[in-house]
Amino acid sequence: MKKHSIDRRDFLKSGAVSLAGLSCLPLFRALDSYAEASGSIPILMNAKGVLLADPSRCTGCGRCELACTEFNLGKAHPLVASIKIRRNLNFGPNGAWAGQWLNMGKADQGRIFQETCKQCAHPVPCALACPEDAIRPDAATGARIVDEKKCTGCGICVSACPWEMPTIDPETGKAVKCDLCGGEPECVAACPTRALHYIKWRDLSRESVRRSAGIQSNCLECHK
Amino acid sequence: MSELGGWSGKVLRVDLNTGKIWDEGTLEKYRPYLGGTGIGYKVLWDEVPNGVRAWDPENRIVFACGPLAGTSALCSGRTAVTSLWPPHKDEWVASGHMGGYFASEMKYAGWDAIIIQGRSEKPVWLYVNNGNVQIRNAERLWGSGTYRTHAEICDEMGAAAQVAAIGPAGENLVRMSCVITGNSHSAGGMGSVMGSKNLKAIGIIGSRSVKIEADPGEWKKLIDYALSLAGANNQWVVPSTPQPWSEWHNPRSRWTADPRRYWGAADPPISTGTCHPNDRNSIGYRTLKSIYDFGEVAQDYTVRMDGCHACPIRCFPVMRVPSAARYGAPAEASNTCGGWWAGTRLMRHRFNTYAYLESAVVGKFFADDLGLWNNYNLMPGTFQFAYDHGILKAALSPEEYKRIPWKLYESKNPEFIKDFCRRIAFKIGEFGKAMGEGTDYALQKWRFPREYYLDGQGVRYFKHGHTRHHEWSGAQVGLLINMQYNRDPQCHSHSNFLSSGLPLELLKEIAAERFGSPDAVDANADFTRMNAGKARFAKFSLLRKELHDSLPLCNWMFPWLVSPLKERGYRGDSGLEAKFYSAVTGDQKNEEQLDLDAERIFNLHRCLTMRQMKTRNMREAHDLLPPWVFNDPNGKKPYTPGARAVEKDDMETARDMFYAECGWDEQNGAPTKKTLQRLGLDEVASDLKKAGLGD
Repeated sequence: MKKHSIDRRDFLKSGAVSLAGLSCLPLFRALDSYAEASGSIPILMNAKGVLLADPSRCTGCGRCELACTEFNLGKAHPLVASIKIRRNLNFGPNGAWAGQWLNMGKADQGRIFQETCKQCAHPVPCALACPEDAIRPDAATGARIVDEKKCTGCGICVSACPWEMPTIDPETGKAVKCDLCGGEPECVAACPTRALHYIKWRDLSRESVRRSAGIQSNCLECHK
Repeated sequence: MSELGGWSGKVLRVDLNTGKIWDEGTLEKYRPYLGGTGIGYKVLWDEVPNGVRAWDPENRIVFACGPLAGTSALCSGRTAVTSLWPPHKDEWVASGHMGGYFASEMKYAGWDAIIIQGRSEKPVWLYVNNGNVQIRNAERLWGSGTYRTHAEICDEMGAAAQVAAIGPAGENLVRMSCVITGNSHSAGGMGSVMGSKNLKAIGIIGSRSVKIEADPGEWKKLIDYALSLAGANNQWVVPSTPQPWSEWHNPRSRWTADPRRYWGAADPPISTGTCHPNDRNSIGYRTLKSIYDFGEVAQDYTVRMDGCHACPIRCFPVMRVPSAARYGAPAEASNTCGGWWAGTRLMRHRFNTYAYLESAVVGKFFADDLGLWNNYNLMPGTFQFAYDHGILKAALSPEEYKRIPWKLYESKNPEFIKDFCRRIAFKIGEFGKAMGEGTDYALQKWRFPREYYLDGQGVRYFKHGHTRHHEWSGAQVGLLINMQYNRDPQCHSHSNFLSSGLPLELLKEIAAERFGSPDAVDANADFTRMNAGKARFAKFSLLRKELHDSLPLCNWMFPWLVSPLKERGYRGDSGLEAKFYSAVTGDQKNEEQLDLDAERIFNLHRCLTMRQMKTRNMREAHDLLPPWVFNDPNGKKPYTPGARAVEKDDMETARDMFYAECGWDEQNGAPTKKTLQRLGLDEVASDLKKAGLGD
């Protein structure tokens, strides 16, 4: 894969900056330092497939999270699952809010929103933020996967992801994220209501509620 | 850490008298008892002597799950809550059981059980964040319903926290109160024990994993094998309408999926479809429970299904009925079966009408938010009997009687539900107090007539303040099961088999394989006399119920004697529990060995009851039957087709055979020393002997 050199001014001029992009300002600063350090910015080719969630069908059973961790990691550990249900289950993606009912999640018997990795197109926030260059595309699927040999568990990928999808496993000290199970996602196979689909990759980034506005602004404390 | 998989390895102990928090090793202390009710009964045996009352600080309340909770072992998301039982004034040992996600989160926080003793001076709640356990001030929460309590605690602990809470009913020491988790799941009867300790709630969040000893490939194969055998809710393995894949159908089945049936309030509406038994990805559509609970009218108001963690069956319908807001209830509600009682059993709407559904949604909110329990429908049934027979008018003062809004009840206005529930939760008047004190209180104080106890169609009081539950399922089998506990038995092992939808000949074949005789199974409402096969069936059912309440697994689904697979001759696999257990823990046990653990747990319950009753004569003092089981409502002679009745002599034979099967004294039904020793309960045997209750 050819690496392209690009300087910041050209990048901004190229019109790749959109309104949504402005919210990725810290990311550009990360790109900046990346470019300074290594002289180039890696551009990952798009993944071949991506997980699509259908919240109308999700019943919150959590078997997707369990399949993900049990069949891949050999333990039942929903906290580190690459698909996120547990954190949305009770109150939806906006979380508990002083007892107010938001008609999301189980607490108000509304929808449960499954969160899946978007396998982002360039610029891939987790990959670009990783100081060890430990997140690279999988050969089979193009999924953005963590190289455990390089990962130091710093957690920057978690902060960089607008959806807070990677997790640092407290038991291994390594980042865990969705690798599409080599092309046969366990979560899709495990879902008892067909609420998950493995589809040809498309950009799902605009379809999902962002979680980490607060965390992204934290990045600015260091990356001035 | 546990050297075996499954268990977290630690049991949390809290003393609210002193604020002391400490832990015990699960395997070191409780391994022979597995978890759940096993741990509960063991704690009560060791630590709660006779003389302690349910609301005394010395009473323990034990929230326990077991090695399977937190994994994808099917239907493993269950918590048993064991303590002295407030719904009857004798307060003998019993357990409530709640689903949802509490058990799993307990495991992720590193705990197999939480045992609470003592009493706090001020309202508190228990904060459990992995090993960081604190007793926190609950003065701001006291008085709140369970819904708000959940939201407040999750606001503090994180949205992924799980909460078990009481509402005002538990706080006010209403005996008919429960513990609620996740707004919709309830452990019956135990609310006031928490209330008596000034314990408002337990909030749990964890970051740990549950270890599975089997290698991931083997575990995945076992899970897939188990999924292949699953039926629908209550292990119905036959659809309710004709489907191309099934030889049979049964309109009573809970396998209600059909291409013409929808989650009608989903966006967009979702057809439940054909649900071929080999299709793993449609298991969650098989049970369109809302039409079972409310009738076909419910389809348009069904948003989706819900249930407990790790269960593919999803037996909790989520309903959206906007007009419920008129009565102060949220439009959305999720519960199942008897959980809708404050609408369905209290008000007298016709089944399969909008009004029936609307009342259910209104009722569920008030009952669950207040943390009110209905004694498996006995409380509303008793109320209706009292109303119909003029008992209320005679028992209450004219002033109080006038204050109760009878016009709302008579016009079937859901406003009555709110008034009814609040009267009981807040002990308003003699009516509120009596309804909440446990059924026997009202029966004795208001001098219910003998007709109440004979009411074979309506109320169906069983004994000792509790009602019946699947009592006719299997004739003597169901009746024996209903005698065994100090509350309704909450046992579905037998009915999951008998009401699976398979034809009688097939059930008899499978019964012959499992229980040694095809006569273990009768035709529905065509009973035959007691036989040894039925005794084995009853024992199997009871042992499995305790096993499920300890592993845990859901007793509304397991055991799986049958499956929907024609290619297997519709056989299930009654060894699944042992397979899950062995794979998760690494402790290799077969079916017989695990059933021995179950038998130990079941016998410990029996011994505890004997100790509390101070009797060995269980046959005459405890294993009782109500008079209505001997009278068919249509006057038919027992053991003739269509007769729902048994004979006294035959039921004595039933006790004889059951006691023999269990290794209990043939005269009085007490576990013999020999049996207790076989089960490793030597110390229990000698304690009983010291109390003058041994052999």
